[in-house]
Amino acid sequence: MCLAIPMRVESVEGHLARCQAKGVFRDVSLFMLQDEPVAVGDYVMVHVGYAIQKVAEAEARSAWELYDQLLAANGPGDSPPS
Amino acid sequence: MTTARDWLDRIRALKLDRPVKIMNVCGGHERSITSAGLRGALPEAIRLIPGPGCPVCVCPEEDVYQAMQLALQDRVILVAFGDMLRVPVNVPKGEVRSLVEAQAAGADVRPIASPTEARRIALENPDRPVVFFAAGFETTTAPVAAMLAEGAPSNLYILLSGRLTWPAVAMLLESEAPGFDALVAPGHVSTVMGPEEWRFVVEAHGLPAAVAGFTPESLLAAFWSVLRQIGSGARFLDNCYPEVARPGGNKTAQRMLDTTLEVVDANWRGIGVIPKSGYALRPAYAAHDARLHFPDHSAPGRRRAGEMPPGCDCARVVLGKLMPSECRLYGRACTPRTPVGPCMVSDEGACRIWWSGGVREPAKAD
Repeated sequence: MCLAIPMRVESVEGHLARCQAKGVFRDVSLFMLQDEPVAVGDYVMVHVGYAIQKVAEAEARSAWELYDQLLAANGPGDSPPS
Repeated sequence: MTTARDWLDRIRALKLDRPVKIMNVCGGHERSITSAGLRGALPEAIRLIPGPGCPVCVCPEEDVYQAMQLALQDRVILVAFGDMLRVPVNVPKGEVRSLVEAQAAGADVRPIASPTEARRIALENPDRPVVFFAAGFETTTAPVAAMLAEGAPSNLYILLSGRLTWPAVAMLLESEAPGFDALVAPGHVSTVMGPEEWRFVVEAHGLPAAVAGFTPESLLAAFWSVLRQIGSGARFLDNCYPEVARPGGNKTAQRMLDTTLEVVDANWRGIGVIPKSGYALRPAYAAHDARLHFPDHSAPGRRRAGEMPPGCDCARVVLGKLMPSECRLYGRACTPRTPVGPCMVSDEGACRIWWSGGVREPAKAD
Protein backbone atom coordinates (compact mmCIF):
# COMPACT_ATOMS: atom_id res chain seq x y z
CA MET A 1 0.00 0.00 0.00
CA CYS A 2 2.97 2.31 0.51
CA LEU A 3 3.98 1.91 -3.12
CA ALA A 4 3.67 5.06 -5.21
CA ILE A 5 3.45 4.96 -9.01
CA PRO A 6 5.00 7.65 -11.21
CA MET A 7 2.58 9.38 -13.60
CA ARG A 8 2.91 12.14 -16.20
CA VAL A 9 0.84 15.27 -15.70
CA GLU A 10 -1.36 15.81 -18.77
CA SER A 11 -3.50 18.74 -17.56
CA VAL A 12 -3.91 20.77 -14.38
CA GLU A 13 -6.97 22.49 -12.97
CA GLY A 14 -6.49 23.97 -9.52
CA HIS A 15 -5.38 21.16 -7.20
CA LEU A 16 -6.52 18.48 -9.60
CA ALA A 17 -4.38 16.96 -12.34
CA ARG A 18 -5.21 14.52 -15.09
CA CYS A 19 -2.28 12.12 -15.06
CA GLN A 20 -1.21 9.26 -17.24
CA ALA A 21 0.97 6.20 -16.87
CA LYS A 22 1.42 3.87 -19.81
CA GLY A 23 -1.89 4.84 -21.36
CA VAL A 24 -3.89 4.67 -18.11
CA PHE A 25 -5.42 8.00 -17.04
CA ARG A 26 -6.30 9.00 -13.47
CA ASP A 27 -7.45 12.12 -11.64
CA VAL A 28 -4.74 12.96 -9.14
CA SER A 29 -4.88 15.45 -6.28
CA LEU A 30 -1.99 17.90 -6.17
CA PHE A 31 -3.07 19.12 -2.73
CA MET A 32 0.08 17.77 -1.05
CA LEU A 33 2.26 19.45 -3.70
CA GLN A 34 0.51 22.83 -3.47
CA ASP A 35 3.69 24.57 -2.28
CA GLU A 36 5.60 23.85 -5.47
CA PRO A 37 4.69 24.47 -9.10
CA VAL A 38 3.43 21.44 -11.04
CA ALA A 39 3.06 21.83 -14.79
CA VAL A 40 1.94 19.74 -17.74
CA GLY A 41 4.75 17.36 -18.66
CA ASP A 42 6.00 16.99 -15.09
CA TYR A 43 6.19 13.56 -13.50
CA VAL A 44 4.77 12.91 -10.04
CA MET A 45 4.78 9.90 -7.69
CA VAL A 46 1.13 9.03 -7.03
CA HIS A 47 -0.11 7.14 -3.99
CA VAL A 48 -3.84 6.48 -3.33
CA GLY A 49 -4.79 9.26 -5.75
CA TYR A 50 -2.45 11.89 -4.30
CA ALA A 51 0.82 13.15 -5.75
CA ILE A 52 3.42 12.87 -2.98
CA GLN A 53 6.53 14.09 -4.86
CA LYS A 54 7.74 15.40 -8.21
CA VAL A 55 10.30 13.18 -9.92
CA ALA A 56 12.48 13.29 -13.01
CA GLU A 57 11.38 11.48 -16.14
CA ALA A 58 14.26 8.99 -15.85
CA GLU A 59 13.08 7.96 -12.37
CA ALA A 60 9.53 7.50 -13.67
CA ARG A 61 10.75 5.26 -16.48
CA SER A 62 12.83 3.00 -14.24
CA ALA A 63 9.91 2.62 -11.83
CA TRP A 64 7.51 1.72 -14.66
CA GLU A 65 9.94 -0.92 -15.83
CA LEU A 66 10.06 -2.39 -12.34
CA TYR A 67 6.27 -2.45 -11.90
CA ASP A 68 5.89 -4.19 -15.26
CA GLN A 69 8.19 -6.90 -13.98
CA LEU A 70 6.35 -7.17 -10.67
CA LEU A 71 2.99 -7.42 -12.41
CA ALA A 72 4.33 -10.04 -14.79
CA ALA A 73 5.69 -12.01 -11.83
CA ASN A 74 2.73 -11.74 -9.47
CA GLY A 75 -0.29 -10.66 -11.45
CA PRO A 76 -2.28 -7.68 -10.26
CA GLY A 77 -2.93 -7.79 -6.55
CA ASP A 78 -6.09 -6.95 -4.66
CA SER A 79 -4.92 -3.42 -3.99
CA PRO A 80 -5.83 -0.68 -6.35
CA PRO A 81 -2.81 0.42 -8.39
CA SER A 82 -2.90 4.04 -7.36
CA MET B 1 24.41 3.43 -13.81
CA THR B 2 25.44 0.60 -11.53
CA THR B 3 23.46 -2.49 -12.48
CA ALA B 4 21.98 -5.13 -10.18
CA ARG B 5 24.72 -7.49 -11.38
CA ASP B 6 27.43 -4.98 -10.35
CA TRP B 7 25.89 -4.58 -6.91
CA LEU B 8 25.68 -8.36 -6.46
CA ASP B 9 29.34 -8.70 -7.44
CA ARG B 10 30.30 -6.02 -4.93
CA ILE B 11 28.29 -7.69 -2.19
CA ARG B 12 29.74 -11.13 -2.96
CA ALA B 13 33.24 -9.65 -2.77
CA LEU B 14 32.67 -8.45 0.80
CA LYS B 15 34.27 -10.59 3.48
CA LEU B 16 31.62 -11.31 6.10
CA ASP B 17 32.93 -12.97 9.25
CA ARG B 18 29.46 -13.68 10.60
CA PRO B 19 25.86 -13.93 9.39
CA VAL B 20 24.12 -10.58 8.95
CA LYS B 21 20.38 -10.02 9.27
CA ILE B 22 18.98 -7.07 7.32
CA MET B 23 15.40 -6.06 8.12
CA ASN B 24 13.05 -4.24 5.79
CA VAL B 25 9.84 -2.64 7.03
CA CYS B 26 7.90 -2.22 3.82
CA GLY B 27 5.68 -4.61 1.91
CA GLY B 28 6.82 -2.99 -1.33
CA HIS B 29 10.44 -3.80 -0.51
CA GLU B 30 9.56 -7.36 0.40
CA ARG B 31 7.67 -7.78 -2.87
CA SER B 32 10.64 -6.55 -4.92
CA ILE B 33 13.07 -8.74 -2.96
CA THR B 34 10.91 -11.82 -3.40
CA SER B 35 9.94 -11.14 -6.99
CA ALA B 36 13.52 -10.48 -8.11
CA GLY B 37 14.76 -13.54 -6.19
CA LEU B 38 17.28 -11.47 -4.24
CA ARG B 39 17.37 -13.88 -1.30
CA GLY B 40 18.68 -16.67 -3.49
CA ALA B 41 21.14 -14.38 -5.25
CA LEU B 42 22.85 -13.11 -2.10
CA PRO B 43 25.49 -15.02 -0.14
CA GLU B 44 24.00 -17.39 2.41
CA ALA B 45 25.39 -15.39 5.34
CA ILE B 46 23.05 -12.52 4.47
CA ARG B 47 19.51 -13.00 5.73
CA LEU B 48 16.79 -10.63 4.59
CA ILE B 49 14.07 -10.32 7.23
CA PRO B 50 10.62 -8.94 6.42
CA GLY B 51 9.65 -6.80 9.44
CA PRO B 52 6.67 -4.60 10.33
CA GLY B 53 5.79 -3.44 6.81
CA CYS B 54 2.10 -4.21 6.54
CA PRO B 55 -0.38 -1.76 8.10
CA VAL B 56 -3.36 -3.97 7.32
CA CYS B 57 -1.70 -6.85 9.21
CA VAL B 58 -1.42 -4.84 12.44
CA CYS B 59 -4.73 -3.00 12.18
CA PRO B 60 -6.49 -3.73 15.48
CA GLU B 61 -8.94 -6.59 15.29
CA GLU B 62 -11.34 -4.43 17.33
CA ASP B 63 -11.27 -1.75 14.62
CA VAL B 64 -12.16 -4.27 11.89
CA TYR B 65 -14.96 -5.56 14.14
CA GLN B 66 -16.20 -2.01 14.75
CA ALA B 67 -16.15 -1.24 11.01
CA MET B 68 -18.21 -4.38 10.37
CA GLN B 69 -20.77 -3.43 13.02
CA LEU B 70 -21.06 0.12 11.67
CA ALA B 71 -21.91 -1.38 8.29
CA LEU B 72 -24.20 -4.11 9.65
CA GLN B 73 -25.96 -2.38 12.55
CA ASP B 74 -25.71 1.36 11.90
CA ARG B 75 -26.27 0.88 8.16
CA VAL B 76 -23.55 3.31 7.15
CA ILE B 77 -21.83 3.20 3.78
CA LEU B 78 -18.50 1.71 4.81
CA VAL B 79 -15.60 2.45 2.47
CA ALA B 80 -12.09 1.07 2.86
CA PHE B 81 -9.02 0.25 0.81
CA GLY B 82 -9.57 -3.14 -0.84
CA ASP B 83 -6.93 -4.87 1.28
CA MET B 84 -9.04 -4.45 4.43
CA LEU B 85 -12.14 -6.23 3.21
CA ARG B 86 -11.01 -9.82 3.73
CA VAL B 87 -9.21 -9.33 7.04
CA PRO B 88 -10.87 -11.75 9.49
CA VAL B 89 -12.02 -11.01 13.02
CA ASN B 90 -12.44 -13.58 15.78
CA VAL B 91 -16.09 -14.57 15.98
CA PRO B 92 -17.82 -17.92 16.49
CA LYS B 93 -18.11 -20.09 13.39
CA GLY B 94 -21.02 -19.09 11.18
CA GLU B 95 -20.98 -15.41 12.16
CA VAL B 96 -19.92 -12.66 9.78
CA ARG B 97 -16.13 -12.50 10.11
CA SER B 98 -14.95 -9.89 7.60
CA LEU B 99 -16.13 -6.81 5.77
CA VAL B 100 -16.54 -8.81 2.59
CA GLU B 101 -18.82 -11.22 4.44
CA ALA B 102 -20.72 -8.24 5.87
CA GLN B 103 -21.17 -7.05 2.29
CA ALA B 104 -22.51 -10.46 1.29
CA ALA B 105 -24.90 -10.22 4.26
CA GLY B 106 -26.37 -7.04 2.80
CA ALA B 107 -24.20 -4.31 4.32
CA ASP B 108 -23.13 -1.43 2.07
CA VAL B 109 -19.38 -1.99 1.97
CA ARG B 110 -17.40 -0.45 -0.88
CA PRO B 111 -13.72 -0.78 -1.75
CA ILE B 112 -12.03 2.47 -2.70
CA ALA B 113 -8.63 3.34 -4.12
CA SER B 114 -8.30 6.90 -2.80
CA PRO B 115 -9.54 9.21 -0.03
CA THR B 116 -10.96 11.35 -2.84
CA GLU B 117 -13.36 8.49 -3.62
CA ALA B 118 -14.56 8.51 0.00
CA ARG B 119 -15.33 12.20 -0.41
CA ARG B 120 -17.10 11.63 -3.74
CA ILE B 121 -19.27 8.83 -2.30
CA ALA B 122 -20.21 11.07 0.66
CA LEU B 123 -21.14 13.91 -1.70
CA GLU B 124 -23.25 11.58 -3.84
CA ASN B 125 -25.10 10.27 -0.76
CA PRO B 126 -25.78 13.38 1.32
CA ASP B 127 -28.58 11.69 3.30
CA ARG B 128 -26.43 8.77 4.50
CA PRO B 129 -23.44 8.60 6.80
CA VAL B 130 -20.29 7.39 5.07
CA VAL B 131 -17.48 5.91 7.18
CA PHE B 132 -13.98 5.71 5.71
CA PHE B 133 -12.11 2.93 7.54
CA ALA B 134 -8.54 4.05 6.92
CA ALA B 135 -5.63 1.82 7.86
CA GLY B 136 -2.17 2.67 6.62
CA PHE B 137 1.29 3.90 7.41
CA GLU B 138 2.44 7.51 6.99
CA THR B 139 2.41 7.41 3.17
CA THR B 140 -1.27 6.45 3.14
CA THR B 141 -2.36 8.46 6.18
CA ALA B 142 -1.00 11.72 4.72
CA PRO B 143 -3.53 11.66 1.83
CA VAL B 144 -6.30 11.03 4.40
CA ALA B 145 -5.05 14.10 6.27
CA ALA B 146 -4.90 16.08 3.01
CA MET B 147 -8.50 15.16 2.23
CA LEU B 148 -9.57 16.34 5.70
CA ALA B 149 -7.53 19.54 5.39
CA GLU B 150 -9.07 20.30 2.00
CA GLY B 151 -12.54 19.87 3.46
CA ALA B 152 -14.65 16.75 3.98
CA PRO B 153 -18.45 16.64 3.55
CA SER B 154 -20.32 16.73 6.87
CA ASN B 155 -21.62 13.15 6.39
CA LEU B 156 -18.10 11.71 6.02
CA TYR B 157 -16.53 10.12 9.12
CA ILE B 158 -13.08 8.60 9.45
CA LEU B 159 -12.43 5.40 11.40
CA LEU B 160 -8.70 5.97 11.52
CA SER B 161 -6.20 3.16 12.10
CA GLY B 162 -3.16 5.02 10.81
CA ARG B 163 0.20 3.91 12.13
CA LEU B 164 3.77 5.24 12.17
CA THR B 165 6.48 2.92 10.94
CA TRP B 166 9.51 3.96 12.95
CA PRO B 167 8.10 3.39 16.49
CA ALA B 168 7.76 -0.35 15.76
CA VAL B 169 11.41 -0.45 14.72
CA ALA B 170 12.33 1.54 17.83
CA MET B 171 10.38 -0.94 19.98
CA LEU B 172 12.28 -3.86 18.43
CA LEU B 173 15.62 -2.11 18.89
CA GLU B 174 14.83 -1.39 22.53
CA SER B 175 13.89 -5.01 23.16
CA GLU B 176 16.37 -7.62 24.36
CA ALA B 177 16.57 -9.39 21.02
CA PRO B 178 15.87 -7.02 18.09
CA GLY B 179 16.60 -9.83 15.62
CA PHE B 180 18.44 -7.78 13.01
CA ASP B 181 21.84 -6.16 12.45
CA ALA B 182 20.93 -3.50 9.90
CA LEU B 183 17.87 -1.72 8.56
CA VAL B 184 16.69 -0.94 5.06
CA ALA B 185 14.33 1.98 5.57
CA PRO B 186 11.15 2.42 3.52
CA GLY B 187 11.42 4.63 0.43
CA HIS B 188 7.96 6.13 0.22
CA VAL B 189 7.48 6.64 3.96
CA SER B 190 10.78 8.56 3.74
CA THR B 191 9.54 10.48 0.70
CA VAL B 192 6.73 11.89 2.83
CA MET B 193 8.33 12.07 6.28
CA GLY B 194 11.97 12.67 5.28
CA PRO B 195 14.84 10.15 5.45
CA GLU B 196 16.09 11.84 8.65
CA GLU B 197 13.33 10.05 10.57
CA TRP B 198 15.55 6.93 10.51
CA ARG B 199 18.65 8.57 12.00
CA PHE B 200 17.77 7.16 15.41
CA VAL B 201 18.64 3.66 14.19
CA VAL B 202 22.22 4.79 13.67
CA GLU B 203 22.54 7.39 16.40
CA ALA B 204 20.68 5.74 19.28
CA HIS B 205 21.32 2.09 18.45
CA GLY B 206 24.54 2.02 16.42
CA LEU B 207 23.04 0.01 13.57
CA PRO B 208 23.69 0.81 9.92
CA ALA B 209 20.68 1.97 7.95
CA ALA B 210 19.92 2.91 4.36
CA VAL B 211 16.78 4.22 2.69
CA ALA B 212 15.96 2.18 -0.40
CA GLY B 213 13.70 2.51 -3.40
CA PHE B 214 11.95 -0.40 -5.00
CA THR B 215 14.13 -1.46 -7.91
CA PRO B 216 16.55 -4.36 -7.34
CA GLU B 217 19.38 -1.87 -7.98
CA SER B 218 18.25 0.47 -5.22
CA LEU B 219 17.65 -2.37 -2.76
CA LEU B 220 21.02 -3.99 -3.54
CA ALA B 221 22.73 -0.60 -3.18
CA ALA B 222 21.16 -0.33 0.27
CA PHE B 223 22.24 -3.87 1.23
CA TRP B 224 25.77 -3.13 0.05
CA SER B 225 25.79 0.13 2.03
CA VAL B 226 24.79 -1.47 5.32
CA LEU B 227 27.05 -4.49 4.80
CA ARG B 228 30.01 -2.24 4.09
CA GLN B 229 29.20 -0.23 7.20
CA ILE B 230 29.21 -3.43 9.23
CA GLY B 231 32.60 -4.38 7.75
CA SER B 232 34.21 -0.99 8.21
CA GLY B 233 32.70 -0.04 11.56
CA ALA B 234 31.47 3.25 10.10
CA ARG B 235 27.87 4.12 10.87
CA PHE B 236 25.63 6.49 8.96
CA LEU B 237 22.20 6.76 7.45
CA ASP B 238 22.62 6.23 3.73
CA ASN B 239 20.05 7.23 1.14
CA CYS B 240 19.89 4.94 -1.88
CA TYR B 241 16.66 6.56 -3.16
CA PRO B 242 17.75 10.23 -3.28
CA GLU B 243 15.84 11.02 -6.49
CA VAL B 244 12.54 10.59 -4.65
CA ALA B 245 13.17 10.52 -0.88
CA ARG B 246 14.58 14.03 -0.55
CA PRO B 247 15.97 15.71 2.56
CA GLY B 248 13.15 16.84 4.81
CA GLY B 249 10.52 14.89 2.88
CA ASN B 250 7.27 16.51 1.76
CA LYS B 251 6.79 19.40 4.18
CA THR B 252 3.32 20.19 2.86
CA ALA B 253 2.16 16.65 3.59
CA GLN B 254 3.73 16.77 7.05
CA ARG B 255 1.96 20.04 7.78
CA MET B 256 -1.39 18.49 6.80
CA LEU B 257 -0.74 15.47 9.01
CA ASP B 258 0.13 17.74 11.88
CA THR B 259 -2.83 20.06 11.38
CA THR B 260 -5.50 17.37 11.26
CA LEU B 261 -4.06 14.47 13.28
CA GLU B 262 -2.17 13.90 16.48
CA VAL B 263 0.26 11.12 17.31
CA VAL B 264 -1.02 8.82 20.05
CA ASP B 265 -0.15 5.51 21.71
CA ALA B 266 -1.65 2.81 19.53
CA ASN B 267 -2.47 -0.85 19.57
CA TRP B 268 -0.95 -3.21 16.98
CA ARG B 269 -2.86 -6.43 16.43
CA GLY B 270 -1.30 -9.35 18.25
CA ILE B 271 1.58 -7.14 19.41
CA GLY B 272 0.11 -4.65 21.86
CA VAL B 273 0.39 -0.94 22.45
CA ILE B 274 3.42 0.82 20.97
CA PRO B 275 3.95 4.33 22.36
CA LYS B 276 3.39 7.24 19.95
CA SER B 277 2.81 4.90 17.02
CA GLY B 278 -0.67 5.86 15.83
CA TYR B 279 -2.70 8.74 14.46
CA ALA B 280 -5.97 10.12 15.83
CA LEU B 281 -8.09 13.03 14.60
CA ARG B 282 -7.44 16.30 16.39
CA PRO B 283 -10.34 17.86 18.34
CA ALA B 284 -10.82 20.44 15.56
CA TYR B 285 -11.83 17.53 13.29
CA ALA B 286 -13.97 15.73 15.89
CA ALA B 287 -17.06 16.21 13.70
CA HIS B 288 -15.50 13.72 11.26
CA ASP B 289 -14.28 11.21 13.87
CA ALA B 290 -16.22 7.95 13.53
CA ARG B 291 -14.95 6.90 16.98
CA LEU B 292 -16.81 9.81 18.58
CA HIS B 293 -19.90 9.86 16.40
CA PHE B 294 -21.05 6.21 16.45
CA PRO B 295 -21.77 3.73 19.23
CA ASP B 296 -18.86 1.60 20.41
CA HIS B 297 -19.66 -1.97 19.38
CA SER B 298 -16.65 -3.51 21.07
CA ALA B 299 -18.76 -6.17 22.88
CA PRO B 300 -16.87 -6.63 26.15
CA GLY B 301 -15.85 -10.21 26.73
CA ARG B 302 -15.89 -11.15 23.05
CA ARG B 303 -13.62 -14.15 22.80
CA ARG B 304 -10.11 -13.48 21.42
CA ALA B 305 -10.96 -9.81 20.81
CA GLY B 306 -7.85 -8.01 19.58
CA GLU B 307 -5.89 -11.16 18.96
CA MET B 308 -4.73 -12.85 15.81
CA PRO B 309 -6.87 -15.82 14.71
CA PRO B 310 -6.28 -19.10 16.61
CA GLY B 311 -3.06 -20.81 15.54
CA CYS B 312 -2.00 -17.82 13.44
CA ASP B 313 1.58 -16.59 13.87
CA CYS B 314 1.13 -13.30 11.99
CA ALA B 315 2.25 -11.25 15.00
CA ARG B 316 5.63 -12.96 15.09
CA VAL B 317 5.93 -12.76 11.31
CA VAL B 318 5.22 -9.01 11.43
CA LEU B 319 7.98 -8.55 14.00
CA GLY B 320 10.46 -10.54 11.94
CA LYS B 321 10.72 -13.23 14.63
CA LEU B 322 9.44 -15.89 12.27
CA MET B 323 9.74 -16.27 8.51
CA PRO B 324 6.35 -16.64 6.79
CA SER B 325 6.90 -20.26 5.78
CA GLU B 326 7.83 -21.12 9.39
CA CYS B 327 4.26 -20.47 10.54
CA ARG B 328 2.38 -23.66 11.42
CA LEU B 329 -0.49 -22.69 9.13
CA TYR B 330 1.48 -21.42 6.11
CA GLY B 331 0.55 -23.33 2.97
CA ARG B 332 -1.53 -25.77 5.02
CA ALA B 333 -4.64 -24.16 6.49
CA CYS B 334 -3.59 -20.69 5.31
CA THR B 335 -3.27 -19.76 1.64
CA PRO B 336 -4.42 -16.64 -0.29
CA ARG B 337 -7.55 -18.56 -1.29
CA THR B 338 -8.46 -19.36 2.33
CA PRO B 339 -6.41 -16.93 4.40
CA VAL B 340 -6.42 -17.39 8.17
CA GLY B 341 -4.30 -14.39 9.18
CA PRO B 342 -3.97 -10.86 7.83
CA CYS B 343 -0.40 -11.48 6.56
CA MET B 344 -1.91 -13.84 3.98
CA VAL B 345 -4.74 -11.41 3.17
CA SER B 346 -2.94 -8.16 2.47
CA ASP B 347 -0.85 -7.58 -0.64
CA GLU B 348 1.71 -6.17 1.76
CA GLY B 349 1.66 -9.13 4.10
CA ALA B 350 4.89 -11.13 4.02
CA CYS B 351 2.99 -14.44 3.79
CA ARG B 352 0.96 -13.30 0.81
CA ILE B 353 4.10 -11.97 -0.89
CA TRP B 354 6.06 -15.18 -0.31
CA TRP B 355 3.18 -17.28 -1.58
CA SER B 356 2.83 -15.12 -4.74
CA GLY B 357 6.59 -15.37 -5.14
CA GLY B 358 6.37 -19.16 -5.34
CA VAL B 359 7.23 -20.24 -1.77
CA ARG B 360 4.67 -23.02 -1.43
CA GLU B 361 6.25 -25.33 1.11
CA PRO B 362 5.97 -24.83 4.86
CA ALA B 363 9.44 -24.70 6.42
CA LYS B 364 10.74 -26.03 9.71
CA ALA B 365 11.66 -23.28 12.15
CA ASP B 366 15.41 -23.18 12.79
